Amino acid sequence: MSTTPDTVDLEQRLRAALTARADLVRPEDLAPLAPAAPLRPRWSPWVLLATAAAVLLVLGVVLQGLGRDPRSDDVAPRPDEPPVVLPDDVGRHWEADDVSTPARLDLDGDGTDEVVDFLGEPTEDFDGRTRLETTLSSTGEDLYGIAELGTTIGTTALPPVDADGDGDQELVLRYDDPAAGPGGGGHPLVFDLRDGLLVEAVAEEPELLLSGDIPVPGTKTEHYEMVRQQDFWVEDGELWSSRSVNAYARGNMTIVRPLVTVRDAWTWRLTEDGRLEHVDAGCLRHDVMDDARTPCEDGAADDLPDVADVAEESIGLGESATFDDGYAFTARLEAVADPSLVVEGADGRTIDHALDVADPRVLTTQPVGVFADGASVVIASSSDPGYVQVLRQDGGRLRALDPVGEVDLTDDGSHRTWLTPDGTLVTAVAAEDGTWRLWFWQTVSRSEMAALPGAVVCFDDPTDPSTMRRC
Amino acid sequence: MEPSVDITELYAAHRLALVRLAVLLVDDFASAEDVVQDAFAALARRPEAVRDPSKALAYLRISVVNTARSALRRRRTARAYSPPHDVAAPSPEDSAVLAEEHREVIEALHRLAPRQREVLVLRYWSDLSEAEIAKTLDVSRGTVKSTASRALVALEKGMRPTGPRSEGTEQR
Repeated sequence: MSTTPDTVDLEQRLRAALTARADLVRPEDLAPLAPAAPLRPRWSPWVLLATAAAVLLVLGVVLQGLGRDPRSDDVAPRPDEPPVVLPDDVGRHWEADDVSTPARLDLDGDGTDEVVDFLGEPTEDFDGRTRLETTLSSTGEDLYGIAELGTTIGTTALPPVDADGDGDQELVLRYDDPAAGPGGGGHPLVFDLRDGLLVEAVAEEPELLLSGDIPVPGTKTEHYEMVRQQDFWVEDGELWSSRSVNAYARGNMTIVRPLVTVRDAWTWRLTEDGRLEHVDAGCLRHDVMDDARTPCEDGAADDLPDVADVAEESIGLGESATFDDGYAFTARLEAVADPSLVVEGADGRTIDHALDVADPRVLTTQPVGVFADGASVVIASSSDPGYVQVLRQDGGRLRALDPVGEVDLTDDGSHRTWLTPDGTLVTAVAAEDGTWRLWFWQTVSRSEMAALPGAVVCFDDPTDPSTMRRC
Repeated sequence: MEPSVDITELYAAHRLALVRLAVLLVDDFASAEDVVQDAFAALARRPEAVRDPSKALAYLRISVVNTARSALRRRRTARAYSPPHDVAAPSPEDSAVLAEEHREVIEALHRLAPRQREVLVLRYWSDLSEAEIAKTLDVSRGTVKSTASRALVALEKGMRPTGPRSEGTEQR
């Protein structure tokens, strides 16, 4: 670390001084059974427990599982595990904004709530740190913590938890990931009173304590990637998290998932050394419509997608239909020479689009699952069962969307394609084992559409989607 | 679960050295004993944390360094935001027999930032390598190197607080 003669001299002096100072501690100076010094001036029974632990230690007795109050020795690191970091004392001059709400919780377990103020670090983008400040009701001691919440605006705490079961409460804040895409992203931060400070707990396996659509590595394609849905919440003083058992395709601002999903769930426990460790809480059934979570029954699985019904009504040459759901327009099939589709929009514009298929039929349900920002129709053919085409309005014309990606838009022995009454265009693709993978069509550009994968299902009769069932 | 390490044996073998390490970090014998006691108590509660007995001393050393740092932080907090480097001088019983030339170094050492002091103690008293120091402090080897370099400069300045030192003389 050094080369110059002056430095060598300094190093020698330092070595000598360190040795001399260390040697002042002689073996006979050591207390035979020195108890651990009390580090926090509260709950003296726990200090006694710590003293007892030290005595038993020398006797070679291993203590495990003693519930007691955290002490600073608990923050000592363990190999290969993230250490708890005590907060820096910064930001005493920072200020709270008008839209943040101070938290109220019983940090010291004396039955009286403390009020925790959130002081934001002033930065140009409001992305600085947040200082947590409070005064303990039991001792009058001022204490602080530092949080990185992604933003300093509108800080609001989640309900408090008692993650270590010691009778006092821990503060829970939320980190919002500013870089998260659709589906959001974030994780909770748990702050515990420790060493006279509000110290952030370190989560073991933090990937289980996230919210949002979390990508599955290695699944990204041109048009979608697979994600697992995760969330966290506080319930009855406990911190929970969950992760969907299955992964779902997300792309083009859409996620292909059923309304009811099955999730693995965990509760989170604060250990004596300041770590959050997860406890398996089994399986939960999550209903997105009700935002309700209920324990799984045996054999629980995701709901099947609601695509068993078929929108079969259509018009042929010389007929017309009115489309009221979504963009309003009327459509009629004409055949002066070649067949054409005439669309008259509610804005008075008329589009005449030549069709290149014999015996065309226009389904009277608009494929809003594919395109919903103008007129769109599905064209089939009476004489060609495999023919399926989607037309969408592009300014003053109709444009045929070119199917791209992994699935062909057709209807044959291995590909079953149908439109549901709610406008979802589905193609089921047969696998060699007799199962079928459902694919859901989405517009991916002005001229293209691609299918995103969904559930694997079975059919009693592959020609009849209403016979769809779990495999 | 059977403990992976014999804590009693570790206690007998390493307690003195660890208290000496701690006293160099906190410069207070009573606190140093507490720091080491806490480190062993933590290990006793979670013996499975160290599965490889050969790593037990390294574990305890990490524990001592971090617990010492916490103790110093608490000391500062208790002093109601006193300046971070305003560390108390050694108590009379600690330094009574320490030679003047060493006391000047030790006092300057305790005016350094905690991380700088830790690096110097681990390097020049514990004789750890840069890699071992890096692992102990959970920092990169580059950080160890740069911290040590700055710490030596700061130490030398700290030993002559009133001006340049004349060749061959010491500030008293």
